[in-house]
Amino acid sequence: MFFWQDPQFGNKMITLMAALVLVIQILMVSQRWLVTNIRAFGVQSLLLACIAWTIAYFNHAPHIYWVAALTLIFKAGLLPVVLERLVARIEIRQEIEPFVNVPLSVLVAGMLTLLAYVVSESFHRPNEPAGHGLGHNTLAVAIAVFLIGFFMMVNRRKALSQVLGLLCLENGLLLAAISLTYGMPLIVEVGIFFDVLVASLLLAILVYRIRETFDSMDVSRLSRLRG
Amino acid sequence: MTERALALLAQIAIVLFLSPLITGFSRTLKARLQMRRGAGILQPYWDIHKLLRKGMVIPETASWIFSATPYVLFVTTLLAGLLIPTVSAQAPLSLYGGVLAVVYLLALGRFFLALGGLDTGSSFGGLGSSREMTISAIAEPALMLAVFTVALSAGSTNLSVVAQASLGQSWRFLAPQQMLAFAALFIVLIAETGRIPVDNPATHLELTMIHEAMILEYSGPYLALIEWSAAMKQLVLMTLLVNVFFPFGLSIGWSMGTLLSLVLFGLKLLLLAAAVVLVETTNAKMRLFRVPELLAVAFVLSATALISTFLF
Repeated sequence: MFFWQDPQFGNKMITLMAALVLVIQILMVSQRWLVTNIRAFGVQSLLLACIAWTIAYFNHAPHIYWVAALTLIFKAGLLPVVLERLVARIEIRQEIEPFVNVPLSVLVAGMLTLLAYVVSESFHRPNEPAGHGLGHNTLAVAIAVFLIGFFMMVNRRKALSQVLGLLCLENGLLLAAISLTYGMPLIVEVGIFFDVLVASLLLAILVYRIRETFDSMDVSRLSRLRG
Repeated sequence: MTERALALLAQIAIVLFLSPLITGFSRTLKARLQMRRGAGILQPYWDIHKLLRKGMVIPETASWIFSATPYVLFVTTLLAGLLIPTVSAQAPLSLYGGVLAVVYLLALGRFFLALGGLDTGSSFGGLGSSREMTISAIAEPALMLAVFTVALSAGSTNLSVVAQASLGQSWRFLAPQQMLAFAALFIVLIAETGRIPVDNPATHLELTMIHEAMILEYSGPYLALIEWSAAMKQLVLMTLLVNVFFPFGLSIGWSMGTLLSLVLFGLKLLLLAAAVVLVETTNAKMRLFRVPELLAVAFVLSATALISTFLF
């Protein structure tokens, strides 16, 4: 048996990649450039696909291979390209202007991570047999990514960067789903998947419209009436 | 007794004579990545050799602090280098202090360097000192928290014990808190050695420089000592990263196998230096007021690492 067939090794790789997902999420909060943010999202999705693939391989759950492939094609490939094109087409200013300044946002992200760890503590069963359940560490990362994604949505003015927040939030959900239950039934996964895909494509068009009508992507301007 | 003296001498030689090589390597690699020929890898040695033979200009307004600074900086950095395991897991002076001693020896050197910058009364020196202190005030807690994460899992702040503990557990570096701590320490390494997103080591433009501004008044042998200490500080921090997180090939005592460890140690350092150079060539320098944002990321990463160690 090679060392990479050892389930222990698989578990460690999954936790490692989950930690990387968290690192990328925190970097996204701190990063001001929209394009870098989109690329970071692409890398995060790629890591998520790798996690899904590893879980599928070690738990002999063939339908998770589909999740991995879908994540790889749509979230790591298609969406970043579409969003980057959108950024290039509407020629917006490249910087994200958060409501809370960046160092404070990063601190908030750290607090949210702490909260996620505390919450996931209650899911931890130390006397569970090894190899069953991925441990609360991956779950904690998933909750943290979810919360930070939510915070990103609230914290940012521009519609496009809010879409990015939504996508991160969905990444957290997917990670939680595959790490807790080894994947929901495939049909549910596919449903959620296309839901998010269609939602983000629609939002991309909506962003373009907002920008056309208001000469800005700042959603706080939407509260003004226009005849 | 003689064995320990030999180990001490060997480590002094490694810290003193390997450090300019790493500096030279990263400069040459950076030049090649920018499609320049660049100076040879050995250039820092020639620089130090030349500076040591030259005369000095000391400003009239300078007090004794100006003259003491290069010596204090040199000795503290060298001492810090002796507390860190380089090729052997047993650092020669590890009985005298752990990671706290390393961090505060470096801080003492930095304190004197900042005083030296202020001492001549030139405005650039003061500017450099205040900037250096601003950056290190945030970088230092991040460094401490990251190292404590590792020290917690080893059960000691003594770096030799930490290195030996991590030698025993293979794959431990895959643990997520190690990953977070490594990422934090990497950012701290870039900030503390004055690399590009934070400071440009090759700049002579007054508005942007930090380290260069502090040592603007130094010349001749004093400058040689300061440049040499900067190279040693870089070696110390890089060694901290590679040997605490990736302790492959550390030998337990000092024997013939140590030679192999030396080669492996060199390779690890070169890899890390290459990573730093890649970051340097692919990024633009940050505005000074953006630097605290980068360091806030390092701080949060290491705090998360420490917290997740407790919550396991």
